[in-house]
Amino acid sequence: MKISRTWLQQYFKDPLPSVEAIADALTFHAFEIEEVEGEILDVKVLPDRAAYALSHRGIAREIAAVLNLELLKDPLREPLPVWTPAEELVLTGDPEGKVLRTMGALVRGVAVKPSPAWLTEALESLGQRSINNIVDATNYVTLSMGQPLHAFDAKKIAWHDGKLHITVRGARPGEEITVLSGETYKLPEGALVIAEAKEGTALDIAGIKGGAASAITSDTTDLFVSVANFDGPSIRRTAQALNLFTDASVRFQNKISPELAAYGMRDILALITDIAAGEVIGVNDCYLAASESVPVTASIKKINSVLGTKYTSEEIREAFDRLGLSYTEQGDEFTVTPPFERRDLMIAEDLAEEVGRIRGYDGIEGEDLPPLERPLSQERYYGIERIKDFFRAEGYTELSTQSFAAEGDIMLANPLDKSKPALRRSLAANMEDALQRALFVAPRVLGPVGNVQLFEIGSVFTKDAEYLSLAVGYRSTAGKTKPEHLDALVQRLEEELGVSLSFNRIDPGIAECVLPESELVKLGAIAPVHVALGAYRSFSIYPFALRDVAVWTPEGTEESEVTNAILKEAGDYLVRVDLFDRFEKEGRVSYAFRLVFESMERTLADTDLDPAMERITNELNSREGWEVR
Amino acid sequence: MGFVVTQGPELETEHYNFNALNIPADHPARDMQDTFWTTETPRRVPRTQTSPMQVRYMEEQMKKGIEPPYRIIVPGKVFRNEATDATHEAQFYQNEGLAIGKGVTLAHLKGTLDRFFREYLGEESRVRFRPSYFPFVEPGVEVDVWFEPEGKEGRWLEVMGAGMVHPTVIKNAGLDPEVYQGFAFGGGIERLIMVKHGVPDIRLFHAGDIRFVHGFQESEV
Repeated sequence: MKISRTWLQQYFKDPLPSVEAIADALTFHAFEIEEVEGEILDVKVLPDRAAYALSHRGIAREIAAVLNLELLKDPLREPLPVWTPAEELVLTGDPEGKVLRTMGALVRGVAVKPSPAWLTEALESLGQRSINNIVDATNYVTLSMGQPLHAFDAKKIAWHDGKLHITVRGARPGEEITVLSGETYKLPEGALVIAEAKEGTALDIAGIKGGAASAITSDTTDLFVSVANFDGPSIRRTAQALNLFTDASVRFQNKISPELAAYGMRDILALITDIAAGEVIGVNDCYLAASESVPVTASIKKINSVLGTKYTSEEIREAFDRLGLSYTEQGDEFTVTPPFERRDLMIAEDLAEEVGRIRGYDGIEGEDLPPLERPLSQERYYGIERIKDFFRAEGYTELSTQSFAAEGDIMLANPLDKSKPALRRSLAANMEDALQRALFVAPRVLGPVGNVQLFEIGSVFTKDAEYLSLAVGYRSTAGKTKPEHLDALVQRLEEELGVSLSFNRIDPGIAECVLPESELVKLGAIAPVHVALGAYRSFSIYPFALRDVAVWTPEGTEESEVTNAILKEAGDYLVRVDLFDRFEKEGRVSYAFRLVFESMERTLADTDLDPAMERITNELNSREGWEVR
Repeated sequence: MGFVVTQGPELETEHYNFNALNIPADHPARDMQDTFWTTETPRRVPRTQTSPMQVRYMEEQMKKGIEPPYRIIVPGKVFRNEATDATHEAQFYQNEGLAIGKGVTLAHLKGTLDRFFREYLGEESRVRFRPSYFPFVEPGVEVDVWFEPEGKEGRWLEVMGAGMVHPTVIKNAGLDPEVYQGFAFGGGIERLIMVKHGVPDIRLFHAGDIRFVHGFQESEV
């Protein structure tokens, strides 16, 4: 939520520190700060604290606790007025228990006009648009103290027998409503609407968004102000079905306290009568059951045993005091009665968290775990690693590929890539694809080898179960891939490791098998090899180019002499030199090298390569007794 | 430190991926991760985190009659239904850690992670905690680690979420939270490798490309 430092200041007597200092204090004691821009902090309030902290008041309370500042006022601790119900208003809740509280007020004779400058500025500072003084007032109160509320034009709703009848009901099948922003929504099953009770006309999507038909306009004079509390899960379901998450729906789904509604009503009526005049006729309240805070107990010992600290009762007391929590102490135990808005305080661990974070987690000294008396088993994992070790020793390259596939037994309801809507039931398709790509880049990556050899161990999914699968892939870089190569490999695998695996041969060069748990556990009696990774060197996304060079040299010439001569003149694009042929004849040695050229920035052209090859040829020919063939 | 590696299914039930981890249906915490679902009835979920193994492991041990202490590391593939770019991938690996016993504290979590990162990233590394929220821990923290790459300025990296295992989760696994408590942590593996070894794009890891695999120098130790 966007929080303005200027807005926060009104809760404090003393000037607040800089916005950066506030950001730091919140970061290490309360909330992540997503962004700081000017006087505005974007505070990431997570679901546990959203019931109280999606508001300037909630954030002010936190800052007061963290920085040990005195709050000038806390609107949620100030007394509520006693209201008289409006006789012209008949307000009913819904019978299914999804309306935890609904309050309604009638206000007559307001003047709708542009908001005063302070209000416009406050809203605009958070990136909100000013609409008119009534709508702005409702938004301002929500952003201040966290209660969503809504004002309807009371004259745009039908009256019966001189009265306004308002109820909350479930949406009818196929019911549609046009909201304030102009879009028409078809309401899903389970949605709640605030409705005129006699004719049943829906006025808004309860807890989510106001309806267009009863919007406040410049000629509005009478208001029906609605402040309610709805069942969080059902608001969440509706918002999700409509894909319409609003400032209101997010607060309801995080289960703000129904107690908050009365404070919201108090503040909105005060603000409306202040900036738009008008007379409050009365306030009606349907409150299912007043919710009471359940006390939470934690001993000093418990708090310290969670945190691994040695906090004294004095230090714990100070943390609770700073948070404005009321508590009693009995012996070693603290019993906290959470204020109504703190719906996150439910178990002893919650109290430990409050102490830990307010005192600061940097105060916790790291400690080593005590040694275990008996070791735990990890044979299955060792077994997998030993199979990997075998393939590595055989010169095979391990791969990891994607689990989503074009075909499979298990389908996704919501695939990200529509062309891969299934979970793979085999590793073979990815192996085939990887082999093709590997063949293509083999001269660059592997050098002038006769084949590419790959393997993958990964989960596959069939109707019956999920299996750990092993795929082995082999392709000859020159000519036909013969099945004997994998046959021999599988035989060595079974002999060396003493396992029995039933491979399924997909083609002469691809074999796949399930790795049974029992075989892995058996293998895991011996520990695998440890491998350390070094630095990573990026590859070019541009194609490489190959050139061969062969040279006669005098007897006794070392390979490195030729390599060095090539490197000396090759230029920056040469990335690999591999000897692929050497023979001796008539007192001379012939060396043949394959040169790989590549740029990180572009595709190389002959105009890049020809001059390099010419320089190399000249260099080689310039030496006594050397001759490029 | 006595941790052992264990692995679990990638396709999870809603129970282990969410409910047993104290994330009930229609809870806003469900929105914290974008989830893939299968078309099966009942639907299952390509796991969004490796945390389901917390409850699975504890249950399995209790079935075998093995009481805590437990110390496990769970590396494994997880799935998030979100747009991919150089730092986000719909499939990536997480590393879950769990230590359960008598008197295991948040200070032990800090000590364990401090030691891990000193060995993994270098002696000058240290961790710090920031308050956070994950439904299956209480208190929950974000873990930052101080990292000084060779020849570059040091900086704090966000590396994992962690906390003290929620008593409800311990209870869901069939243990008595009055007797046993512990810590859990979980974070992306690729991101750490990217930072430590200089890999520019997370999508390289599971692309089945030998150019990536051979981009690393490796040695047996």
